[in-house]
Amino acid sequence: MGVELANEAMLKLNKVSKHFGGLAAVQDLDLVVMPKEIISVIGPNGAGKTTVFNLITGIYRPSSGDIFLAGKSLSGLSPDKVLRRGIARTFQNIRLFNNMTVLENVLVGQHAQLKAGIIGSTFRPPGVVREEAEARQRAIELLSFFGSELVDRQEEYVINLSYAYRRRVEIARALAANPKLLLLDEPTAGMNEAETLDAVKYIQRLRDELHLTILLIEHKLAVTMGMSDRIYVLDYGRKIAEGLPEEVRRDEKVIAAYLGTPTKRGQKQESVE
Amino acid sequence: MAIANTFVPARNTRAILIKWIVGLLVPVAVFTFVWSGEAIINNALLGVFGLGGVSDIAILVQIALFLVIFYATVIALAGYLVAADSGLRGMIEVWVDILVFVLVPLFLVISLGLIIGLALCAIIWPVYFFARRRIYKAINYTPPTPLLNLKVLSDEQRVELKNRAISGSFWFSVALAVVWLVVDLIFYVSGSLPTSLLIWVVIRTLLLPVAGYFLGRLAGVIALRRTIAAKSNGNDGNVSDGAGKRVRQRQLEKLSTTRVREEAKDLVPNDLPLRSTGAQRFFLILLVAFVLFYPVIDPFLFGFGTAGRLAGYGDAGYYVILALGLNIVVGFAGLLDLGYVAFFAIGAYTWGIFGSTQLTNVLNLAPINPHLLSALFWPMVIVAALVAALFGVLLGAPTLRLRGDYLAIVTLGFGEIVPIVFLELDQYTNGTNGIVGVHSPSFFGIDWSVITPVPYYYLILALIAFSIFVNVRLRDSRLGRAWIAIREDEIAAASSGVNLVTTKLFAFGTGAFFSGIAGAYHTAKLGGVSPDSFSFGDSVIFLAMVVIGGIGSIPGVIVGALAVYSINQFLLAQLDSLAADPSNPLFAVRNAIAHVFTGFTFGNIRNLIFGVILVVIMIYRPEGLIPSARRRRELHEVEEEGVEVGALGVVPGAPGFESEVRVE
Repeated sequence: MGVELANEAMLKLNKVSKHFGGLAAVQDLDLVVMPKEIISVIGPNGAGKTTVFNLITGIYRPSSGDIFLAGKSLSGLSPDKVLRRGIARTFQNIRLFNNMTVLENVLVGQHAQLKAGIIGSTFRPPGVVREEAEARQRAIELLSFFGSELVDRQEEYVINLSYAYRRRVEIARALAANPKLLLLDEPTAGMNEAETLDAVKYIQRLRDELHLTILLIEHKLAVTMGMSDRIYVLDYGRKIAEGLPEEVRRDEKVIAAYLGTPTKRGQKQESVE
Repeated sequence: MAIANTFVPARNTRAILIKWIVGLLVPVAVFTFVWSGEAIINNALLGVFGLGGVSDIAILVQIALFLVIFYATVIALAGYLVAADSGLRGMIEVWVDILVFVLVPLFLVISLGLIIGLALCAIIWPVYFFARRRIYKAINYTPPTPLLNLKVLSDEQRVELKNRAISGSFWFSVALAVVWLVVDLIFYVSGSLPTSLLIWVVIRTLLLPVAGYFLGRLAGVIALRRTIAAKSNGNDGNVSDGAGKRVRQRQLEKLSTTRVREEAKDLVPNDLPLRSTGAQRFFLILLVAFVLFYPVIDPFLFGFGTAGRLAGYGDAGYYVILALGLNIVVGFAGLLDLGYVAFFAIGAYTWGIFGSTQLTNVLNLAPINPHLLSALFWPMVIVAALVAALFGVLLGAPTLRLRGDYLAIVTLGFGEIVPIVFLELDQYTNGTNGIVGVHSPSFFGIDWSVITPVPYYYLILALIAFSIFVNVRLRDSRLGRAWIAIREDEIAAASSGVNLVTTKLFAFGTGAFFSGIAGAYHTAKLGGVSPDSFSFGDSVIFLAMVVIGGIGSIPGVIVGALAVYSINQFLLAQLDSLAADPSNPLFAVRNAIAHVFTGFTFGNIRNLIFGVILVVIMIYRPEGLIPSARRRRELHEVEEEGVEVGALGVVPGAPGFESEVRVE
């Protein structure tokens, strides 16, 4: 479903494949994200989910197939060009600039929107001074999306923050680029239950208040099921199912991929939820 | 009553008062009486009275300016320190610090000369830091946590702070006046003080306390500016002053210890006032005054040979520019460059070929008027820098896909190729003979070919000031942030919108720009270019300056450049001449070694000693002499978890990248 609506699609992957040597990490993947949707990509470890993200953001190049953002091909673009087109992302293992402060991290996120060049940076004409002041103001606004704690700790090195706060800074850095589409790679990894609930809330607020389209990879099924509009399931680089959370939950192939044999299903679901 | 409050210090501030008055008075007394302060003043005054001494008006004005700035700054500093001290650190601790960081250098400089004295300090200080850490550990002493007494000052406390500053400056200048009076009386009785200067003694004794009072008020204002509300943030710009203070206090309370320690440097009251940002401003004023008026006061400080010394400092200066340029490439952007000497050579040859008859000879043109050529030096410095920057970009381009060790090898190659190209292009560069007869610059008709190094001294000062200015501005800009981001994590930087290609090329280009400036200056000062001043060894020396000083830290690399230059070019070069003097302990050392190894000189093992010194500094102070905050954190808190970023062989998104790195 959804493929026929491709004209209005925010993001569209068309038969995208990626081979590492002989290994097919992603194979003939079709994926569509409509504006304002929250779409999850799930699958067992090594299913190729992160590779999909790397293909979309230009870190990897597809072996075949094409990727479109709002109808325009992203093929051959470097990561910074992809960001300028409107796709920002976070990473599974949080890749912040650890020896920079919270504020500086978010300022780097605004790099593409700021204009100061080497001459402007050196002599600081009023335009550059204003731009820099506005950038700081905006960075603080972005941090305040996650409450006052990060605003208060704006001058802290990110490495001194807790895991959950680092995730937020990483999202704030991604937001700083004014993206249309936000890719979140396991946004609740390593978080406890309370932090996870909190994360779910702010991810939904990202869509509702900032009107972002969100594509996310998630391991915690409960999280995924709760907030996704649609879910794609990958296994061994292939899409094995897609649809509404309820449909995916009952899909035989998904259950098999996730839980091995159907007999274990009961226990496993309990432990996950 | 108010007057009494100001001048008679409260009981609890008396200890602080004594701590700083003694702490500052001793170095000032050493400068004034043991060294040349008094001699400078007396000579100047004799000149004014027309009784001999200095008679040149220009020099007199400079001397007067220097002395006024020097003593006024020290008196104000006393007030600031008394006001800013939180009183947490004991008297002994402060005095030991002053002994090691002020008195020892002062005595070394007085007895051995400026460069050797400072070079020895660069060796002594790391050892001192190491020893202090060991002692603290042995006696189980942990320095108090900064900001224990973090608080927003009430209006009463602000008034008290200001009063403390006034009493600090006032009593310091009273003490100085009294000591000076006593010493002068002794001089007078012993006959070494001319009678005509007695009137000056009286004026000075009366003037100092008055000056102390007003300078204390100034110091109080400066200290008050750094109390807790000092650093306002963009987000609380619209709230009232009191609320802003509380926001700031809350923010400080939430910071981690490492960050607090850095932030604490800014604040008053301060546990380590001597190292606080406010005190650093005073040190900066002293340093600038010293450097600016140095050519005038040098004869008083070190006696004959001013010209030779100034020429030496001119050489040290272009090393500073080179280190600042390399710091952009290595320190900010994290690109290891082992061929930096190539751009230095390009800058040097650009002015060398243009500024001599070389170019017009080769092109069979009529020679350019020498006067015009001399004036053309100024635009050509910029041209030489731009040419070097262009080659920085050109040579940087093929290395873009490399990082770490691989990048180092390629840049090493460039460092070898460029000087050889200049050597082989002998039609243009005279090959091994080098270029001679390069015209010296002229400034508004003043010809610099006269044998005095003073113009070159001020030229290098101006160039260094320009380099520091550009470095600081770039570091705190959009571009500087992008450089540091690339150093931290290339993939994250690229995914945050940083164009890796242009940003890295800007780093190479900007770094090369500064070496071009240094190269043009080098040629102009030498009056020629010699192809053997651009070897791989020089590239390594430049890199050592950056690493020893503190990678990525602007004050660090300046100090590093001076330290490495003075150790390598002065201290070690002079060992043999020192050892030739039978009264010197080195004489015995050399003879003892020569007894075993016949024909031994220190020159033989010069590089060995240099290497050992570098190794020792790196063992005891791996983060460099003045590390940047980021780097210090990196080296001392490795136990903290962090995402390891491996060396990237290929730019993300480029074909072949996937086989190199898996991004998760």
